[in-house]
Amino acid sequence: MTPGEWIFIAVMATTLAGALAAVLSGSLVYALFGLVTAMFGVAGIYIYLNAPFLAMMQILIYVGAISILIAFAIMLAGPMYLRPREWTTPKKFVAALAVVLFSLLVLVGIIMGSFRAASGVRPLTVTTEELGRVFLDKLTLPFEAISLLIVVSIIGAIMLALFSKGEK
Amino acid sequence: MTGDLIYHNLHIYLFASLFLLGCGLLGVMYRRTLIGMLISMELIMNAAGLNLVALASFSAQGNAYGIAFTLFIMGIAAAEAAIALGIIITVFRRFGHIEGGQIREMKG
Repeated sequence: MTPGEWIFIAVMATTLAGALAAVLSGSLVYALFGLVTAMFGVAGIYIYLNAPFLAMMQILIYVGAISILIAFAIMLAGPMYLRPREWTTPKKFVAALAVVLFSLLVLVGIIMGSFRAASGVRPLTVTTEELGRVFLDKLTLPFEAISLLIVVSIIGAIMLALFSKGEK
Repeated sequence: MTGDLIYHNLHIYLFASLFLLGCGLLGVMYRRTLIGMLISMELIMNAAGLNLVALASFSAQGNAYGIAFTLFIMGIAAAEAAIALGIIITVFRRFGHIEGGQIREMKG
């Protein structure tokens, strides 16, 4: 195996381990660190898919913005020692695991049935110039709609946090 | 470049995104607090983005639509995180905790 393949396996293992830690850890701070690890891993996978711009945006937006926001949410939601652990009853875990495994089996069936011919092809490169042309020529309306969505959601979050009545 | 390399295989990307989706679904159903559910939602968003980029970059011509829509997903995830932070602060002010299963009234 080439060194690139070993690095790819390491990146993939990082992603999967981060996702498992984000879901299964008992403390929210560890879950957040698992999420950050998974985000870095997904950025590495984007590099292997020949999308380095997207990998950079992944690190900027997810690791730089969203996880900081979640960290603020964790800090603002009361002191840690008053909070219950994340574990709920084992029965609920087993039920959730059963539902997830069933749906994943169905999805594996769909994927293995549909994309059998697509292996062994090299991923194609998309340059940033091409991406910018697509954004401003063909996808102008979704682009502006996303901008509007972000403005509305930020103003809405500020209004929610400012004007909600407290009742402790 | 030979076609035998492990990262030139579409299935491995699809299975990685499937695993992320499964982890996210499990977390949304199993987590106790709203922040845990938010973290799992971010995992689901990442799975969707990874799936889009993998399928777009292995498709016939190198189209930029997959990457463009993954950037849209990132924008939506940022907006969702901001809204969720506002909701979590409001819920914590009103109820004193952020457990999803214990919130039973929605008066303003």
